[in-house]
Amino acid sequence: MIKIKDLEKIYRTEEVETIALNKLSMEVKDGEFVAVMGPSGCGKSTLLNILGLLDDPDAGSFIFNGIEVAKFNERKRADLRKHNIGFVFQSFNLIDELTVFENVELPLIYTGVKSSERKKRVDEVLDKVQIMHRRNHYPQQLSGGQQQRVAVARAVVNKPKLILADEPTGNLDSHNGNEVMEMLTDLNEQGTTIVMVTHSEHDARYSHRIIRMLDGQTVLENIMV
Amino acid sequence: MIRNYFKTAWRNLWKNKLYSGINIFGLAVGLAACLLIGVYISHELSYDKFNRNAYRIVRVTMEYEKAGTVNAVATTGTKVGPQFKRTFPPVEEYVRTYIRQNIIKHDEKIFDEPRILYADAPFFKVFSFHLAEGDPATALDASDKIVITRSMAKKYFGNEDALGKTLTMGGKDFRISAICEDVPQNSQLKFDFVTPFLNLGNNVKDETWWTANWITYLLLRDHNSISQLQQQVNDYMKSTAVRKDAGVEGNNYLSYHLEPLTRVHLYSSLPGFEPNGSIRNIYIFSLIALLILIIACANYTNLATAQSAGRTAEIGMRKVMGASKKQVFIQFISESLIITLFAGALAIIISITLTPYFNNITGTQFSVSAFLKPLPIAALIIFSILTSFFAGFYPALLLSGTEVIGVLKKGFSFTGGKNLLRKTLIIAQFSISAILIIFTIIILQQMNFMKTKDLGYNKDHIVVLPIGGKMLSDFQALKDAFSQVRGVESVTASYETPEYVQWGDGISVTDEKGKHDISLNAMPVDLDFIKTLQMKLIAGRDFQQSDFAMMDTSNDYQNYHQPYLINETLAKKIGWTPEQAIGQAIEKGATGPVVGVIKDFNFSSLHDPVGPLLIFLNRDYSRDFMLRINGNDVPQTLSRLEMVWKQRITDRPFHYHFLDEDYNKLYQAEQRSSSLLSVAAMLAIILACLGLFGLAAFTTVQRTKEIGIRKVLGAHAGSITLLVSKNFLALVVIAIAIAIPLAWVIGNKWLQDFAYRINISWWVFLAAGAAALLIAFLTVSFHSIKAAMANPVKSLRTE
Repeated sequence: MIKIKDLEKIYRTEEVETIALNKLSMEVKDGEFVAVMGPSGCGKSTLLNILGLLDDPDAGSFIFNGIEVAKFNERKRADLRKHNIGFVFQSFNLIDELTVFENVELPLIYTGVKSSERKKRVDEVLDKVQIMHRRNHYPQQLSGGQQQRVAVARAVVNKPKLILADEPTGNLDSHNGNEVMEMLTDLNEQGTTIVMVTHSEHDARYSHRIIRMLDGQTVLENIMV
Repeated sequence: MIRNYFKTAWRNLWKNKLYSGINIFGLAVGLAACLLIGVYISHELSYDKFNRNAYRIVRVTMEYEKAGTVNAVATTGTKVGPQFKRTFPPVEEYVRTYIRQNIIKHDEKIFDEPRILYADAPFFKVFSFHLAEGDPATALDASDKIVITRSMAKKYFGNEDALGKTLTMGGKDFRISAICEDVPQNSQLKFDFVTPFLNLGNNVKDETWWTANWITYLLLRDHNSISQLQQQVNDYMKSTAVRKDAGVEGNNYLSYHLEPLTRVHLYSSLPGFEPNGSIRNIYIFSLIALLILIIACANYTNLATAQSAGRTAEIGMRKVMGASKKQVFIQFISESLIITLFAGALAIIISITLTPYFNNITGTQFSVSAFLKPLPIAALIIFSILTSFFAGFYPALLLSGTEVIGVLKKGFSFTGGKNLLRKTLIIAQFSISAILIIFTIIILQQMNFMKTKDLGYNKDHIVVLPIGGKMLSDFQALKDAFSQVRGVESVTASYETPEYVQWGDGISVTDEKGKHDISLNAMPVDLDFIKTLQMKLIAGRDFQQSDFAMMDTSNDYQNYHQPYLINETLAKKIGWTPEQAIGQAIEKGATGPVVGVIKDFNFSSLHDPVGPLLIFLNRDYSRDFMLRINGNDVPQTLSRLEMVWKQRITDRPFHYHFLDEDYNKLYQAEQRSSSLLSVAAMLAIILACLGLFGLAAFTTVQRTKEIGIRKVLGAHAGSITLLVSKNFLALVVIAIAIAIPLAWVIGNKWLQDFAYRINISWWVFLAAGAAALLIAFLTVSFHSIKAAMANPVKSLRTE
């Protein structure tokens, strides 16, 4: 699914040059559940952004689903992204002005799904994450755990091949955190590829493989048994 | 998709009530200004166009040179119409017109009617005033016929059918031959009654080129023939035979101009039946409306970009989920569209509420329904959409360009370029406001200068009583009766009141070098003119009773002499000192001596310098009594006058006005412009401050954490207030610096039109600048003081 070779990303300000990714290479196979770990500033988030087609690398090769996408422009990336990738963030990133239902519906709107079909699919997925009874509430009326369940629902409603999770349990207590991790595991078992950035060794244990990063490079891989 | 946009937009507006309120209110005010002024402008532009023949009708104006002076007037002699029709094939029809006041009576009902139109028979054929009853072809074909408007029919006859009934005018009976619909507001001819032109009396029966008191309209066969006809008229008036017929000699000339009917109101420099509008005012008013709208749009742009930082997360998420740049752009444009449509709806309500005030300022009489017609509403909607695009374009562009990566970074915000735009907009807003404020002060100063200027006579406490009917034959008795009323100090009479003398005339003076012609203004007056108006004599004396002896009409005027008073300027023009002038002979029809020289007084608008003026004794021309009353208990004096009037004058209602009011009417146009500008200046500064208020609110929220840290480190409230305010105030100072030279140029340009004017003093700029700065400071400091006083622990917790 993902094949990366010698990926580079450098952030420049007027005086400082920060190397976020330094000739990084890695691979994620279809159906894998990979955790990326490392200290703050090691380039985890940059990697995730590039994997999510939110950002483009400065050099190197990135093959997604057999297509070289490193040189894709914003429009092409957006197109590929909306059909193939779902995101889960630490801070949930739900839109405050939209209800639970409308937040989850949003990806379907942007991929041009018809209204009746949207309703069906949103209800289905809300049911799956057990938040159906809150479908007309606004994000701020929900607990953190409920919000993240909505965010997961939003990430999967389009049936993406890949889910990228950026510290999905970072803002949750352990009970809610475990629930979210189990949801991700379920999705993975149904065939979705997952790449998750985390600080938590506990969460990382849900994955098949842990990639450890330091200074923009992978330094170690642990295969989980 | 669209529904989703509107939903988000609506909820966002609701969430940010302060900013939405500022935006909606500001844009509503801007749009209301555009709507009101738009309706006014379209009214002005529609003048006379309701006539089916509008483009085939021309007004004939007269231009002539006599004694070295060129004169142009909208009025013509009685000969122009008939002679042109006989001579030039392109002329299909002519109508000579005159509007005057008269007393109209029916049974017990008796009114002084100011709008009686005298017109030639084809009037209703040439103009499209619809006759509800009666035949346009025969409505004016006999001298005892009169056409009345529907309102007049109601006024005199109630619900009875007025057609065929009789009205008495000036003691003569008239048959009502037709009922005309009321004259539309946008007609240069406004009348309540129409009767044949020849009823004006013997002086219009003969055809003459001169005695130009009448306005002549021509109906042409083809609207394309105007320039060709103009050429024919020019050639014709230059021909020897016509010059001889008109008595034009030497370098003098007489010519006529054809003004298309539809251009008279806005483009002609010659007022006809009513003061003309001015295309310049149309431009100025449009500009003002646009400026106000721009200020409101700038508020929207500024607040939207300022808020954008708070929206990046949302936009980022939308983009993560696959929204394209275009979709985000459309979303934000929809948001501004919603705001402006709200503002548009509010604008209609504001316009309707403000209609009476607007009518007051512009001198129009729009009803509420003027705004509820399809055209203004459609225009408003289109304008709102354009405005929404104009105001929302930049924020939408900025926000849709948000890097999607922004969502994943905390504390992301816009910097650099956008602030430059925001600063530019604030500077523009305050420059416009400051210019309007300064210009308004200048106009108000000039208005005040004109109201209080020493005119050379005392216009206060002068009651004007129009003379009419049989009053002239009873002149002396009436004058004596008025003089004896308690509170009346002095009585005189004249052809025109002194604030605006229009009588043009010519005199000859003979010295060693021969005879000189001088053209000037003249006014026939009664005794006590100088005394009543408190004018100053520089040399000689006022007219006196014994002067009448000079005016010996016996022996076929063989020994008739006319005594004269002249003003300083006329004496100077002839080359006399005031003392030399006394006893010199002046010839104006009759020869007579100068008995006195008076100090110059302003007998025309202060736009023009004082010209030469000749005053001659002749009470037979009198049209107004002028009474100086003492200021003690004016209502009592007036009611005593009314009593005397009713005892002696039975055929006319008691009707009076004050000279100072007449004087103020001369500057109605300036009065209106100044009122409009005052309102515009006020609106501009209010809107600009509203925007500043919103921005300051926003900035303080953004800087809450910084302010908290500074306070923890020991900053006191004053320094925090200054910290937040100074950036805004610097912009306002720059704006004022830009505004001052511009306002100075505009102000001087406007003042150029006045022969008597103020000089712009430096303190005007200082005061306007200080005021703008103070208002801006108060606006901004509301938030900064609030932030400065806040508990820093609370501020720090917000992050």
